[in-house]
Amino acid sequence: MKRRTLIQSAGSGALGMLAAGLPLVGRTQDRYAKYRGQTVVMSIPSHPHYDAMSKLLPEFTKQTGIKVEVDRLAMARMKDKQLLEMAKPSGDYDLVCYIVMWKGEYVKKNLVRDLEPYLKNAALADPDYDFKDLVPRYVENIGLVGGPKGYLAGPGAKLYGLPYGAETSILAYRRDLFAKHGLKPPETYEQFERLLPEIRQKTGIGALTSRGQAGHQCVHAWLLHLNPMGGKVFDDKWNPRFNDAVGVKALKFLKLVSETGPVGIPGFGQGEMITSFLQGQAAMYLDSSLIFGQVKNPAVSKIVDQVSYVVHPKGVRHASQSGGLGLAIPRNAKNADAAFLLLQWLTSKAQDKAVVRLGGVPTRTSTLADREMVTLYPEFITLRQQIEYSDPDWRPIIAEWDEINIQALGVAVSEALTGKKTPEDALNGMVPKVTDIMRRGGYLKG
Amino acid sequence: MRRPPWVPLLYVGPAAVVMAVACLYPVISALQLGFYDWSMGTPWEEARWVGMEAFVASFRDPAVWRSLVTTLMFAAVCVAAEMVLGIALALALEGNLRGMSVFRTLFILPMMIAPIAVGLTWRYLFDAQFGLINALLGLVGHDAVAWLAQENTAFAAIVIADIWQWTPFVFIMMIAGLSNVDTAVLEAARIDGATWWQTTRRVKLPMVMHVIAITLLMRLIDAFRVLEVIYVLTFGGPGDSTEILSLHIYKTAFIGQRLGNAAAISVLLLVVVAALSWAALRLSNPLKEGERA
Repeated sequence: MKRRTLIQSAGSGALGMLAAGLPLVGRTQDRYAKYRGQTVVMSIPSHPHYDAMSKLLPEFTKQTGIKVEVDRLAMARMKDKQLLEMAKPSGDYDLVCYIVMWKGEYVKKNLVRDLEPYLKNAALADPDYDFKDLVPRYVENIGLVGGPKGYLAGPGAKLYGLPYGAETSILAYRRDLFAKHGLKPPETYEQFERLLPEIRQKTGIGALTSRGQAGHQCVHAWLLHLNPMGGKVFDDKWNPRFNDAVGVKALKFLKLVSETGPVGIPGFGQGEMITSFLQGQAAMYLDSSLIFGQVKNPAVSKIVDQVSYVVHPKGVRHASQSGGLGLAIPRNAKNADAAFLLLQWLTSKAQDKAVVRLGGVPTRTSTLADREMVTLYPEFITLRQQIEYSDPDWRPIIAEWDEINIQALGVAVSEALTGKKTPEDALNGMVPKVTDIMRRGGYLKG
Repeated sequence: MRRPPWVPLLYVGPAAVVMAVACLYPVISALQLGFYDWSMGTPWEEARWVGMEAFVASFRDPAVWRSLVTTLMFAAVCVAAEMVLGIALALALEGNLRGMSVFRTLFILPMMIAPIAVGLTWRYLFDAQFGLINALLGLVGHDAVAWLAQENTAFAAIVIADIWQWTPFVFIMMIAGLSNVDTAVLEAARIDGATWWQTTRRVKLPMVMHVIAITLLMRLIDAFRVLEVIYVLTFGGPGDSTEILSLHIYKTAFIGQRLGNAAAISVLLLVVVAALSWAALRLSNPLKEGERA
């Protein structure tokens, strides 16, 4: 079965079933009345989308009478706290924001709830919710667990969360500099590779900004190039293949990015990567679509009106990042129904537009196509196209991924970037460790 | 009237029990955890007894030994520098000079700042493009240095941040120690014609040796436990060049979800720190028999 067919069939599976079920739900007079006075406690990160969301919460309380408390933590510390809370018989959180990479682990540990019963509950579900309007790639990537490979849409997949703060990769470039030096944004990786030294030479600033810090950051940067080049971390039988010719080629490309980019890429986290672009130290940015709002914000950006967007260049295929954040209801939530009402309200059509106006990112197809939104954010036209290329199998979102990502590949890629090892040696050197982790996880025998 | 022999036990007992519970319980729990395979977020009933497996696997893991070497280097460089700087500053500023109280207050501020904030502050200072340090280097014509992107400079960065934060602690301890030195002894040394250096080396420092020993011990233990500053500054990179043992334990526990292995490595860390502490106290124990009188 071809990949596209698989996703379409998934649409008629888990997603289709939910979408089809919703019209049967009856309209309720006031679904909020029973929960008035309850308090929903949310665990959220310090993140531009959730900063925007926080501004909507007073309106939710005003409309519904349900209060909301927010526990905001640094992204990196959020998971520890959530695991501790969700493992208790009765936890403090009613709604948790999670990074897509955690979804498999949370479900495997039975920490979050299946959302289907809520979406089919006539007393809770909004008949105008229009589940199908949620960007299907985002729903598949962030919400579904239990399907093929454990994290893709298809037979066995169930919905455990909804996308909220989802993203894909997109190429942003300095329109003014490109025009001045007669440059064209790259459409393919061949063009991309030629363009990097040329930009450096002609403009005198970094060509492409990138993450590079050891751990998750540098692996993210490497995966951005690995997937379009046709590579994967594992083969179909979960054997490591990240050290094959494509893996090495992608790592060499990342080294070129580092050498032609702004100074210090091997130490860049996401913050430094974005800042170097917004402050005019790099001519291009290839990373999360979260950048739209920040480019337009004069408080952080020196390039407010100088940026254009094109789709992530094609290698042997188009395969852009699929990732970002979602919201789920913990198994031990005290006010689970009220939490669902908040989740539903936040991801509704009206609030999706509202959060975008405040600098958040869209979750719905209707928002991306809305005339007013497109006038505000013309880049949504490119984003709609880019989402079609978003690859839900961009990284293996299995419960073991965090360890592989940070403690194995995150060391190897970083060592290659700093020149301590060649890309070949760095990747080959991590095969035994990753194989061990996969054996321990039961994916490989022996 | 003679005091019954159990009275001292009555006085000391409650505090000893509280200390024993507060100190030993976590240690015993960690030790126990080392014998189980348990992942955070799952019920303890699902934990699997694995015997010595986690200890053996951890001690065979080259990454653990690399981290231990990095930790020893970090602790040695930081503590040595902090002790020398802290003592030197205390000796230089011990007098009642005008405005010194204000200076002392300002000087101890770094150790009052939350480690996460210290990490973030230094991350910005070391920023390759916008950091103050590279801006100052630029003023003298030096090219920008990618501090956090190269192994040697990243290690230097975490050492500098630690020295900046904890030298004030040594300074404060030494100031307190020096202020208790008997002025009659100093006066006698002066009358005997001792120079400043002779007075310092032969009189002052020996008289505050017990403070130096305790300070050294405390700094040594703390240097082995540093986590947040390095977490924020380098996250152990580039590669794993700044991954000290406490960060390795954190990653093993909370990223790898191998609590048993993390506990096993914690026991190794405990043994190393205990051995070093014992050695430090043996070298300059203020409570040695001959010095009690």
